[in-house]
Amino acid sequence: MLKPILLVEDDARDLELTLVALERSQLANEVIIVRDGAEALDYLNREGAHADRAEGNPAVILLDLKLPKVNGLEVLKAVRATEALKSIPVVMLTSSQTESDVVQSYALGVNAYVVKPVDFKQFVAAIADLGVFWAVLNEPPPGSLRAARRYE
Amino acid sequence: MNGDVATLGQGPSPTSMDRQMAQCANEPIRIPGAIQPHGWLAAVDWRDGALVAYSENWRTLLPESGDLLPARIEGVLDPVRAARHAWIDGEGPVSCGTLVIGGRRLHVSGHRLGERGYFELEADVEESGNRAPIYSLARHLVPMMQRTAAVDELCRVVVAEMKRLTGFGRCLAYRFDAEGHGEVLAEALDGGYDAYAGHRFPASDIPPQARELYRLNHIRLIADAHYEPVPVRFVDGRDGTALDMSQAALRSVSPVHLEYMRNMRTLASMSVSIIVRGQLWGLVSCHDHAPRQLSWQTRMACEHLGQLLSLQIEAKEENEQVTEQLRLRQLTLAIVAHLADSDATLQRLVEEPGPLLRLGRACGAAVILNDSCWSVGETPDRETLLTLGQWLANRADPVWHSDRLALDVPPSLATALAGTAGVLAISISRLHRHHIVWFRPEIVQTVVWAGNPHKTPTTERDTRLHPRRSFSSWKEQVGGRSLPWTSGEVHAVQELRQALIGVVLRRAEEMAEVAMELGRVNKELEAFSYTVSHDLRAPMRHIAGFVDLVLEMEGQGLSARSQRYLAHVKEASAHAGQLVDALLDFSRMGRSAIKHASIHTGPMIDDLVAEQNAMNKDRRIDWVIQRPLPRLWGDPVLLQVAVRNLVANAVKYTRPREVARIEISAVEDETGVGLSIADNGVGFQMKYVGKLFGVFQRLHQSESFEGTGIGLASVRRIVERHGGQVDAWGEPERGARFSFTLPTRAMQEAQAPEGDAAAETNTDTHGSLSPGGAGAPRAADSLSPDS
Repeated sequence: MLKPILLVEDDARDLELTLVALERSQLANEVIIVRDGAEALDYLNREGAHADRAEGNPAVILLDLKLPKVNGLEVLKAVRATEALKSIPVVMLTSSQTESDVVQSYALGVNAYVVKPVDFKQFVAAIADLGVFWAVLNEPPPGSLRAARRYE
Repeated sequence: MNGDVATLGQGPSPTSMDRQMAQCANEPIRIPGAIQPHGWLAAVDWRDGALVAYSENWRTLLPESGDLLPARIEGVLDPVRAARHAWIDGEGPVSCGTLVIGGRRLHVSGHRLGERGYFELEADVEESGNRAPIYSLARHLVPMMQRTAAVDELCRVVVAEMKRLTGFGRCLAYRFDAEGHGEVLAEALDGGYDAYAGHRFPASDIPPQARELYRLNHIRLIADAHYEPVPVRFVDGRDGTALDMSQAALRSVSPVHLEYMRNMRTLASMSVSIIVRGQLWGLVSCHDHAPRQLSWQTRMACEHLGQLLSLQIEAKEENEQVTEQLRLRQLTLAIVAHLADSDATLQRLVEEPGPLLRLGRACGAAVILNDSCWSVGETPDRETLLTLGQWLANRADPVWHSDRLALDVPPSLATALAGTAGVLAISISRLHRHHIVWFRPEIVQTVVWAGNPHKTPTTERDTRLHPRRSFSSWKEQVGGRSLPWTSGEVHAVQELRQALIGVVLRRAEEMAEVAMELGRVNKELEAFSYTVSHDLRAPMRHIAGFVDLVLEMEGQGLSARSQRYLAHVKEASAHAGQLVDALLDFSRMGRSAIKHASIHTGPMIDDLVAEQNAMNKDRRIDWVIQRPLPRLWGDPVLLQVAVRNLVANAVKYTRPREVARIEISAVEDETGVGLSIADNGVGFQMKYVGKLFGVFQRLHQSESFEGTGIGLASVRRIVERHGGQVDAWGEPERGARFSFTLPTRAMQEAQAPEGDAAAETNTDTHGSLSPGGAGAPRAADSLSPDS
């Protein structure tokens, strides 16, 4: 009964690369994809287009920093401020290690902060490590849903 | 001299003398109750013309009148009685023509004071035609007066004329100074008269009420100092002192003054007031050893001459004042213009010392800004200036001046200011100790007094107050004083102060604007680099990622050439990614704050050498490390980046050498301490040394030596942000040497701004004109390595 991974990514190419990386990491978790911060919050709070989804929090949120509408830091802030969501591990994915972003992310309680490497092999390795740690090694909170992976 | 009352007698005790002096000042000189005997006075009710009071000597003019005397006086005055209606209250006497009484031809003058009319009769002297005094004045004197250039010259013309008109033996003109002492400006005298030119009469010679009377009544004649006063009697029996004789020509004067005249060997005297802008400016004073009577016409001519003189002095003084104001304003403008052209920091004022010193007619001037000062000309030393600044800061007034410092400042400061007696200071800021100060030296003046003004007269039997007896010259040295600051000068520095505050405020506004603009640009830059870091890096990643995927999935099916091309694409994108990273690091170096610490470069070099060895296991590198390596004062992270760049460069450019030799040693010079890294690598031509430290400047083809072209630019930026310097030497195929020095901790802290404004950082040298900052000379004795 694996909980899904919530991937919040607006860039189509990054999305595809991330999915390939996740695929190669051999994780069994379902990957839910949302394309901006507002949709991510809708999913988490079961509102709007996601009002009908089944109950349960994702195993981990892979959150891009730069997102349309509601940016990554704002999503993180909202997650940490919501009682039902605040225990979800959040991994910030970002293009660069801008100092202020790192400082703010940690101040807001991020669990990990990953700068997407230019080298694809390194990227796959980083995603795999993250997935294993947060989606598998971490004890899944009760109520997680098993779901088939979308990309196989 | 000429006061109605003269002082300086003595009494048995100081208290008694003080009381007598006070009495002298209180002597009721306007209501003496008597007249001089050379004329006759009759006072009438101004409305109905009825006689109110008369001098007792009427009895000799109208003998055998008995109790009918008042009626007879009214009778003889009848022809002129109606003239009183033309009199203006408070104005001086006017002529009412002549009367013949008892066979004597008498001139009658009259004036009104309040509800009383006064008739004064005196022997008439026939004067007419061209000999009339008033005529000669208008004809000859006025043009002469107009031709004079200065006030003392004008006075010389007037005293000569006054002496000619009156026939008195000596005629003086003098001016009262701020303390009331009279300074003789001009004199004309006959043989046998003492000269008083250049002398001063002490202020105490003329008590205040006498000065006030001089202001109202512009001419006063004492025909004979031996005269017997003639009492004035009221018709209704009241005491004669009820009659105010302020404007009466015949008014009897104080017996003390008559004694003063006799002591001066003067039996006749006449004084004409010089009134400038409503104030008693001075007197023209005539003396004669013998009694001397002057006709009405002559007295009128003298009074008129006094008025002409007053007007001329007023005009000349106003001219001088306007000229002076113009001069001072031009100086103020020059000073402000100079300042506005500079960076508007106040210490720039001393760079243009001419106008500054001329504005205050000063021997020296100083700009004191909190604990810094800049001076020009002759000024007290730096310590004293700072102490003065502190003392001035406790005073509320924006402008402060003194021409006798010893009396106005605390004794310790006065001692330190020795030789300087005058200070004029303006305060530029209410928050800070910002002052501009002008200095004037002590001027030891010799003042020649007509008699010792301080002398306590010898004891006399008589305890009544006596005027001074000696009029022989008495010289006094007056010290501890500078030339006084004129009101024009004080006004001018006030104007300068306003202008400076305006300039300083405007400059502050401009600075605030620049700071805002800088902040805005900084924000833009930050947003820019943020965008670059996220948006430029992503496509690089995508290119590399998808090329990787293609190679991985289809690699077997591609031709060798296609595989090579794709490898190029991947490398190019990886390099672009590195460039972006390097640029971001470089811009971060310029923006992040420097966190200073003491850095031991020995262990740092050990780590960096180990790092390079680990990365270049296939190379032979001879490391020559000259210990001890210095301690540096700087940001450990940034400095490690800088040194790593230099070490990595040395390793990189020695790659063609079979055995690389890299020597690391300490350097020390007047700019501070640092490191030198020398290698036996490919080197460079010295003509390119200027390009070496620029961003994206590379001297080698990228195929030979990989790199982003940012390494040395980063080194320079890091070193310069520490206030240090970089240096490079190279020779093609022989090697290169790069070194840097950082100011020691002591140097850096000595340069760090201690105040709230950059303008206040220079505290090193008294009188220095160079602003603080990186270019300021560093003390040679602080060169030892930071310990």
